Amino acid sequence: MLKYTVKRILLLIPTLFLVCLIVFMLLRFIPGDAVDAIVTRMTQAGQTVDADAVRAKLGMDKPAIQQFFIWMGQILRGDLGDSFFQYRSVQSIVNKQIPVSLELGIISLVLSNVISIPLGLYCAAHQDSISDYVIRVIAVIFMSVPMFWIATLVLFYPAHWWGYAPPVKFVSFFENPIKNMQMFLVPGILGALAQAGMQLRLVRTQVLDTLRQDYVRTAYAKGVKQKRVLHHHAFRNAMIPVITIIGGSVGALVGGNVILENIFNIPGIGSQIVTALGQRDYPVVEGCVLVMSVFVMIVNLIVDLCYKWIDPRVKFD
Amino acid sequence: MKFWKDLFKKKTLGGICLIILLFFVFVAIFADVLAPTKLVGHMLPMDVRNRLVAPFTSAAHPLGTDQLGMDLLSYMIYGARTSVILCVCCTVLSTLVSLVIGVLSAVIGGWFDLIVQRIVDAFGCIPQMLLLLLMMSLMGNGIPQMIIALSVPSGIGGSRMVRSAAISVKDSGYCDNSDLLGGSVLWKCVKHVVPNIMPLIIISAAGSLGGVVLMEASMNFLGYGVAPGTPSWGALITGEGRDMLFTAPWLCIIPGIAIALLTFTSSMFGDAVRDILDPRLRGGVGSYNSKKLDKVVKMLKEKEDEFEEDMGDIA
Repeated sequence: MLKYTVKRILLLIPTLFLVCLIVFMLLRFIPGDAVDAIVTRMTQAGQTVDADAVRAKLGMDKPAIQQFFIWMGQILRGDLGDSFFQYRSVQSIVNKQIPVSLELGIISLVLSNVISIPLGLYCAAHQDSISDYVIRVIAVIFMSVPMFWIATLVLFYPAHWWGYAPPVKFVSFFENPIKNMQMFLVPGILGALAQAGMQLRLVRTQVLDTLRQDYVRTAYAKGVKQKRVLHHHAFRNAMIPVITIIGGSVGALVGGNVILENIFNIPGIGSQIVTALGQRDYPVVEGCVLVMSVFVMIVNLIVDLCYKWIDPRVKFD
Repeated sequence: MKFWKDLFKKKTLGGICLIILLFFVFVAIFADVLAPTKLVGHMLPMDVRNRLVAPFTSAAHPLGTDQLGMDLLSYMIYGARTSVILCVCCTVLSTLVSLVIGVLSAVIGGWFDLIVQRIVDAFGCIPQMLLLLLMMSLMGNGIPQMIIALSVPSGIGGSRMVRSAAISVKDSGYCDNSDLLGGSVLWKCVKHVVPNIMPLIIISAAGSLGGVVLMEASMNFLGYGVAPGTPSWGALITGEGRDMLFTAPWLCIIPGIAIALLTFTSSMFGDAVRDILDPRLRGGVGSYNSKKLDKVVKMLKEKEDEFEEDMGDIA
């Protein structure tokens, strides 16, 4: 167990390096850079600027490889650099915006699990019944409806009909929980729906798979009640792939909510990255993507270590 | 052959979804014939006299028109072409990518596997949406660019599953024999490994069919999508549909329903394919639930009664 954990943590290092390399390379190949944007903006404001001077000031006159290693050196020292446009460090941006995205992600995650796991179990226990079909079809509908579309409708029509709109200005949960929830609940539910649909189907398939195992037949043969068979024999054994998917969805829920953050005007890390990408604000994009990738890596590691706890048969080699 | 029989007999819903999917493909292929107004260049012609016609009110424009008098039905038909091209190309390309990476990584093994898996891990750690945004801003808008951006990351992600399936095949006896007979790596991949993991690949390809249209629409929303002017359902919702949500709600609702329908049918079809091909999910022995148990109990009771009657007769 300890050996496995140490090995996994050591393997994170090359992966992290590769993440840095991929993000850095993708960003530098994007046509147009921050210098162009700054020069255009200054010229429009009526100032004359020397593009080369700006380039040198931002450290972008050096070859890309040198820039990469300078950036890596900064990261190793725990410094994510400064934004080109926002007059503050990437660290402060991350510190401010990660909790916002995290809150949205956690609300979606909790809701999707609360919806999907009991319903999935129910569907598996009543396979091919009418309620099973209805729940499954609804689940697929949730998965197929474009989230941004339904979010737009949910945001605009109540405003049109009843004059209700969620608060626009972000308030921290600890300052004003009610206002904060007004802002986060609707996007949280919308984010949860698609995820819940997918998880529900997965839970159902996995439980059905375990229900066909010999030990379940044995349990029935012993005269164990169906409820107990479901809870004690089927559910726990079916959970491993489900946990994998939940772990995988953490990254998507925290990082993939770019669209919801955009529509509901939530100042999360996703919308920050989209803005920074448009401005070619390299340090912000690199820093934010890096922080999120580290987050996903840690979650994946925890999920892998959880297997042992859920299923004692799992052996780490 | 048995597959098609099963699809329509046991999984009727899946069969119906396949027919709807084929209908979409048909519309996409014959868009030029079916559309009431044809494309001029890459754009639909304007008809300024009939601006913002509501759906189902005019025979010339059954689904209404937008603010420039563009016929919505024709737009939807040409949009189907974009969606179907994206769907098919992305699924094929991402399956190919995951097949090549996964199988080679499993069969060659050793250092190659270790390095390739680290790269796969690295791609897996970057949230998918952000990777898509980075790739799209790198390549610019357009259909070929979208195909690459949507399929390469998902193909790399899917290669893990292919790899683990390929490893279990690779360790079997016939692969070792192929080694002893001097079969090359490529021979082993093509002749032994790929045919054996084919059902799994078909299942995952069918399952990923639906997500593509949804992703395309989401990317359009963020401003990274097909080239401006190309008919696309996602572009219609995020462009005019959202701007005119109150004056012309049909511009948002009709393409939304179309996207949902295409995604829904592809997911249901994918489900049916999985249910039929996945040996673990095939019904038959050992599928228990309370209803079946009641039946069994009833049957046993009857048998018992018969047996007792028989015993009574003998006595």
